[in-house]
Amino acid sequence: MGVKKRMSGCVATANAIRLADVDVICSYPIRPYTGIMSELARMVADGELDAEFILGEGEHGQLSVVYGAAAAGARAFTGSSGVGVMYAMELYSPISGERLPLQMCIADRTLDPPGDFGSEQTDAMCCRDQGWIQGWASTPQEALDISLMYYRIGEDPRVLLPQYACQDGYFVSHILGEVDVPTQAEVNAFLPPYKNHHVLDVKNPMIIGAQIEPQMGPGLQYQRYLAVEGSRKVIEEVHAEFADIFGRKYDPWIEEYMTDGAETVIFIQGGHAETGKTVVNRLRNLGEKVGLIRLRTVRPFPTKQVREALSKFKAVGVIDNSVSFGIACSAGILLTEVRAAIYDMGDKVKTVGFVAGLGGEMITHDEFYKVFKKLKEVVKTGRVEKESYWLPFEL
Amino acid sequence: MLEEIKSIKKAPVEEYYVPGHRTCAGCGPALQYRLVAKAAGPNTIFLGPTGCMYVANTSYACGPWATPWMHTQITNGGAVASGVEAAFKAMIRKHKTDAEFPNIIVMAGDGGTSDIGIQALSAAFYRGHNILFICYDNESYANTGIQASPMTPYGAWTTFTPAGPVVPEGKKLMPKDITKIMAHGHPELKYLATASLSYPIDLMNKVRKGLNANGPAFLYIHAPCPKGWSFPADKTVEIGKLAVETGMIQLYELIDGEYKLTYKPTKYKPITEYIKYQGRFSHLQPEHIEKLQQFANQRLKEVGVEVEAPTITT
Repeated sequence: MGVKKRMSGCVATANAIRLADVDVICSYPIRPYTGIMSELARMVADGELDAEFILGEGEHGQLSVVYGAAAAGARAFTGSSGVGVMYAMELYSPISGERLPLQMCIADRTLDPPGDFGSEQTDAMCCRDQGWIQGWASTPQEALDISLMYYRIGEDPRVLLPQYACQDGYFVSHILGEVDVPTQAEVNAFLPPYKNHHVLDVKNPMIIGAQIEPQMGPGLQYQRYLAVEGSRKVIEEVHAEFADIFGRKYDPWIEEYMTDGAETVIFIQGGHAETGKTVVNRLRNLGEKVGLIRLRTVRPFPTKQVREALSKFKAVGVIDNSVSFGIACSAGILLTEVRAAIYDMGDKVKTVGFVAGLGGEMITHDEFYKVFKKLKEVVKTGRVEKESYWLPFEL
Repeated sequence: MLEEIKSIKKAPVEEYYVPGHRTCAGCGPALQYRLVAKAAGPNTIFLGPTGCMYVANTSYACGPWATPWMHTQITNGGAVASGVEAAFKAMIRKHKTDAEFPNIIVMAGDGGTSDIGIQALSAAFYRGHNILFICYDNESYANTGIQASPMTPYGAWTTFTPAGPVVPEGKKLMPKDITKIMAHGHPELKYLATASLSYPIDLMNKVRKGLNANGPAFLYIHAPCPKGWSFPADKTVEIGKLAVETGMIQLYELIDGEYKLTYKPTKYKPITEYIKYQGRFSHLQPEHIEKLQQFANQRLKEVGVEVEAPTITT
């Protein structure tokens, strides 16, 4: 058993990186993820972690540095927030395409304009289709845990993919929570050293990233597709093994909260779920048949699991903490993904989208109540009058 | 330590940049690549930002290197090299590898060095990574079909700087001097020099000095491009020589903060001798040629050579 401490999501992630014995770290300051890097810099300065701590020249440079480090065979880590995440966009596809399983922590943040430090999932959601493993932690404990699990999943020879370990800026990155910090021996038993067969090695010269002709393109993309799809099995295995070693059991895909007998549920991702749970508790005390589903892994998207879980309910309110202007159904990304996942069920399960908590605003108790009220109305009338609502303006 | 190569006969016979690439006939960048790889030897990792030496070398998913090679984006040769270097340092220190620390060479074109790649280059040198960054200068974005880069000379035709009645000289801007940008303001810099493929012994020894420097080393290599500059494919070496003999290109090293010429012709030729073989300059009027001559004189002056402007004969 490890030691229980109070710490923020940033410090929890830094502890995971220390325990993973990462070799190369590349930093660049941008709020709120910066806290991870300052804690790692302290660990290196104090001799708690032996790693090259590189001062990146920007996020594009950060991703480039860890790209090179992973290609040379090192375990590498970086991170960012907001516009920084976007600035590095060029590198995400090359990194997954070269099948280099480095890790990036995104403590999410609103995109400009105007400058807004607040949490919002749009930055990381914009990167979702780049061939990385991706999911959100909702507590500092989970932030530590997914960092360890993601390295293990990404470095598995059957997967070899990079990972975005995401947490909500401030709501998770800067809120203190109780964190069980595992021992080094436990982590060593769980996470073996990184070994990749296609690395830069003068004894086994290899050409990495050569140009191809168009007719070779489909096969390469198909391989990456198979890697992402194949990771589903590994994600499940790793979560099971994690539970055995560390005693913390997570469903790899979705967390169901008070869903037994529920008629309406909220579908949500990240730390706002913790606020939503308190509303569920109160409504349950009042006899309402409500529950909550928290998406843990967004890439690969758990189509089958979402379909199975949602088939039990009458109406689902999908809360998007991100925007996709002009998207189908006029809400966010999760709504379209959920609707695509349950399409086969026809009209049996009604879905309504809610865009909420943008710009770093809380999703308040009042807003969660309003969402449940709207869902109850949908169940009662059997009709979805409007497929999405922007909170607080439209509800 | 890599030893000095005393003569062409004493250069290593082993090749690490081997046949099997698809560069144009007379390709200057390919010629210099062969010399660089020969000088560096087998314990070398090449990083290749996008450019001719990526596109023309690695078509059909294969390439001509007998050493490890990895593509980087055109933006980030310096940063990827930083990561590779840091990885070997950490893994050797932590006993995670039994590898010997390798020569890490970035082979970047002039655009990938002086334009879109300059941020990553400068950062790598600021941080003091033990790498050799080579700029092979063929004076344009050539693999995309000859577009102007910041190192395209004044007056050169490119597809982005065509000459026409309104813009008679083609490229109106004077080129960036990336070597001098790198020479000052990077306190960790350990070695800096310029070379030309037409002076192979000098080039190979500068590669070795850069690799021996145990810190960031910058090497500029002038690499004429028959296609982009529009000259016959058998004239690459001759054009390279004329660039040096006319003072358009100067061969030097930075020693104790000062530029020391490593080759100086007894008498500089007028730049007309250099440009007359090149179609990219064929539209120039006497006033444009005069400006180009002044440019060459100024560059020579910056490295300590005062030349009287040679008479221009057109």
